[in-house]
Amino acid sequence: MSRTSRKKNRSIMAARRGPSLNVILTGVVILVAVLVIGGVLVVNRSGDEGAASNEALVPAGAHTLSKVEGDRVTLVEFLDFQCPACASYYSGITKKLEQDYQGRITFVVRNFPLEVHPLAVPAARAAEAAAKQGKHAEMYHALYDNFEEWAVDGRTTSADTARATAKFEEYATAAGLDLERFRADVASDEVRATIDRDVADGTELGVNSTPTLFVNGEEFQPGGGSTADVDRELRAKIDAALAG
Amino acid sequence: MSTVNRRLARLHVVGGGLGLAAATALTLEKVAKLRDPAHVPTCSLNPIISCGSVMDSPQAEAFGFPNPLIGIAAFAVLVTSGVAVLAGFEPPRWYRVALNAGAALGAVFVHWLIAASLYDIHALCPYCLVVWAVTIPVFWYTTLDTWPALAPLRRVHSAVLALWYVLIAGLVLVEFWDYWVSLL
Repeated sequence: MSRTSRKKNRSIMAARRGPSLNVILTGVVILVAVLVIGGVLVVNRSGDEGAASNEALVPAGAHTLSKVEGDRVTLVEFLDFQCPACASYYSGITKKLEQDYQGRITFVVRNFPLEVHPLAVPAARAAEAAAKQGKHAEMYHALYDNFEEWAVDGRTTSADTARATAKFEEYATAAGLDLERFRADVASDEVRATIDRDVADGTELGVNSTPTLFVNGEEFQPGGGSTADVDRELRAKIDAALAG
Repeated sequence: MSTVNRRLARLHVVGGGLGLAAATALTLEKVAKLRDPAHVPTCSLNPIISCGSVMDSPQAEAFGFPNPLIGIAAFAVLVTSGVAVLAGFEPPRWYRVALNAGAALGAVFVHWLIAASLYDIHALCPYCLVVWAVTIPVFWYTTLDTWPALAPLRRVHSAVLALWYVLIAGLVLVEFWDYWVSLL
């Protein structure tokens, strides 16, 4: 008795449910969800490859000192080539860090020339012009390795453009650059636009001093102390990101 | 119309069983953590997939004791009820309404926990995901079965369920977007 009533009940339910409508709607919901999510993921991926999804942080064509597949861990430094703090970060932290983490992290450098440094923009232009010939890293190293030669007069910030220009051309020649092309690029609108873009991006990200570093999009705020302390802190951050 | 719905009863047994297993696992992890505060739960894989941070949150003890204890009690009742129906028990009206009320409370609680997990704790706990995943269909189908007025919705029962799941999955995706992208 209960068996027949159950059977009857089920057939009524089946007829009432109209399986096709339900199945179609369910399929539509799932299909739309898969398409939307998949579409956004694909667009996001091809747009700026990988974890550093922030276009302002790592724009297309950004200069990398080290690169890891998929940008799993990204270190971005906004720097001013004539800023003494940046130079001491370079000699005390990032030069060694670049070697130690080579191929394990993506290390991006962005320009953020400050107005208080008269040679910061010419130096940034030299770096960008070298980049046009594929030698950005070489120029970056030359500018910081020889900081004393062009950026300062003794203890004060230099404003000697002629001396700096001569030095930059010396570094360009040493890096094997085509000097005529280098000079043209230094003066080009394209190089100026790249630096302007970096400054605009930095401003958008809240950068107001140099050096400012971002580890996986998060601003690195050192607790202070000596350069060695900051170095330890930064490495701990990167190691944690690598482990995570 | 017969009051017996064996499909719903089977859902109660399976859903309740999964929920019971998840709640038990969470309770055992909680006990292990109380014994040894340094204990890292088996379900803490990284900063996002981490039941440790979820279990340590104030929301994990919403009523002053660990939530999974509620799960152990409630899911056990659900399984028992489903088994009883499969064994021939024909629940009276008041029983089905009460069961539906219980499922509704569970659903409200689970959605509160989802919001807490996404927007306060910022971590996901795999066992909790199991509880979310079973509580929603248990509530939905129990409600559909209990109230004849909802008959029109029965025609699109799984579409509604799919939409429900998709919405929550969408919220999870958006909230942890950077993490999911980093997995690609």
